[in-house]
Amino acid sequence: MALLSEVKKDYGKLQNYVNGEWIDSTSDKVIDIENPSTGGIIGKLPMSTVDETKAAIEAAHEAWWSWRETPPITRARVMFKLKELMEQHFENIARIMVQEQGKTIDEARGETRRTIENVEVASGIPSLMMGYNLEDGAAEGIDEDAVISPLGVFGCICPFNFPAMIPFWFWPYAVATGNAYIVKPSSQVPTTMNYIMKIIDQAGFPPGVINLVNGSHEVSDTLMEHPKVKGISFVGSSPIAKYIYKHSAENGKRVQAQGGAKNSLVVMPDANLDRTVANMLASYYGCAGQRCLAGSNMIAVGNIADPLMKKWVEGTKKIKMGYGLDESVNMGPVISAKAKQKVIDYVDGAEKAGAKVLLDGRKATVPGYEKGHFIGPTVVDGVTPDMKIAKEEVFGPVVSFLRMDSMDDAIEFIHKSPFGNAASVYTQSGKTARDFRYKCQCGNIGINVGIVAAMAYFPFAGYKDSFFGDLHGQGQDAIKFFTDRKVVITRWF
Amino acid sequence: MVECDFPECTTFGAVMRFALELEKGASGVYDELAKEPKAAAAAETFKALSAAHKKRGELLEFTRQQKLNEMTLEPISELKRENYLIDTHAPKGADVKQAAAFASRMEATSAKFYSDSARVAKPLTAEAARVMDRLGKENLANKAKLDAL
Repeated sequence: MALLSEVKKDYGKLQNYVNGEWIDSTSDKVIDIENPSTGGIIGKLPMSTVDETKAAIEAAHEAWWSWRETPPITRARVMFKLKELMEQHFENIARIMVQEQGKTIDEARGETRRTIENVEVASGIPSLMMGYNLEDGAAEGIDEDAVISPLGVFGCICPFNFPAMIPFWFWPYAVATGNAYIVKPSSQVPTTMNYIMKIIDQAGFPPGVINLVNGSHEVSDTLMEHPKVKGISFVGSSPIAKYIYKHSAENGKRVQAQGGAKNSLVVMPDANLDRTVANMLASYYGCAGQRCLAGSNMIAVGNIADPLMKKWVEGTKKIKMGYGLDESVNMGPVISAKAKQKVIDYVDGAEKAGAKVLLDGRKATVPGYEKGHFIGPTVVDGVTPDMKIAKEEVFGPVVSFLRMDSMDDAIEFIHKSPFGNAASVYTQSGKTARDFRYKCQCGNIGINVGIVAAMAYFPFAGYKDSFFGDLHGQGQDAIKFFTDRKVVITRWF
Repeated sequence: MVECDFPECTTFGAVMRFALELEKGASGVYDELAKEPKAAAAAETFKALSAAHKKRGELLEFTRQQKLNEMTLEPISELKRENYLIDTHAPKGADVKQAAAFASRMEATSAKFYSDSARVAKPLTAEAARVMDRLGKENLANKAKLDAL
């Protein structure tokens, strides 16, 4: 099977999109954009300056009031147009994502679908942002209304693992509700959003309503500190999420900052092993384990441990690794050489601590892609709760296998983690499932589901150090985050 | 002859790609058969079948892009590529019987592919399984039509 074609070999030096125009950054700091499967360079990314970021904020602020005065149904029509355009570019978006992020084409198509779904949901904005009222609500003859209003300029700071979908957890809702927006893509994967912004440019948004500024912490800090920015959305690691939350809040912003994860999948003795293993393979190895919802710890309860491990190893051996533009590939590389080394270090550490590496992907290579950052599916048995690999986020295709006596033991272990993003249980018992979802203190709970990825019309975020903020991404939470309630009390004499 | 590039069916995406290649190949075969002078009596049937396979390809594309809400990433090992390969070299100089027999074998292979794929796809994505099931049944109806020529 031939590889699917790349959209371009070289995307050149990327530009910023500000006030409806594509602008070259004046910065002399430029970094390479790498294809993690081939190790080749597919583009250059300038690190925009503080002044360039401020100019984007000013443009957005200038644009937002007249956009806010645009009726919601008209704003929705632009979103509809964007949805139509994105469908036309669906395959290109997915393939660019494979090129710069390394995920497989199936994963990229899935992400593209999820990306568009957020546009679809935001297209319902006339219904979603309706206020409410009560006749005689204040007193006889005095009515009371709560209207939902946009606030101004918002921005998001995005991670590398979902180059398209994560910006879309936020900006479509912000813009549909009548705000203006600035996207800062990850400097490791800016090309996908750059391509999508060219589609957005054709959809009919007035200049300045949606902007893109490439760069690094200088852009992020400017967004967090500028008085005309009302709120920040962030997705990344927990230490950075905590910093973003604190620093933005100090500057008077609303913040939703999603952090890291350490997700446990608990397999009960009554689980359907064939279906469980098939489902969990996608959870642990999908996107090479670089999802905040990915399985990391596998907890076998009771006597299922040995049969589970046997099937797990058999299943894992079927994983084909390679360049994601080959449609028969199940797993791509991790994002960078540094990320690969970090994963290897965790496995080395576990081995030194007494765990047994049953399947070792540390030295795996893919013929023809020797410069790619591939690390094979790795299974570590004999992991104990005190080991570093059981507690910290690995963000790679590594399974830490733990054995416990009961579901309560598993839940107690999950609760000791500083993270609370997701947890799943595999069982055929409704009672067990009900107990798990009731007791487990995580933001996303799976019952026989290994990746608990909320659809666009449901909120998404974790608990504890996996999320800093209150209103989550997507759905009604997103509408609330990007708006405020204004109460009007009316009496006519 | 249409060049097809059939992948190993190890992922859901590869299964969909295999199906798209099957439809492209089948449509191409019918286009060739429709041009065979000795099979002229069945030319309209072959043209209609070619168009039908093109449309099935569009349905598969639409299904892959717009009807799947979830990433389907489970590795697939049950579908062996070699069991479902079709011959896209339409026989030259074939008469109606020979052309129909050739196409009938192709439809039977496709029917088996879709039947097996639907079974594999069902726990992964019911929507795709429904489409595959439907396409497999159409293959069998096409086969019956060809066998009657």
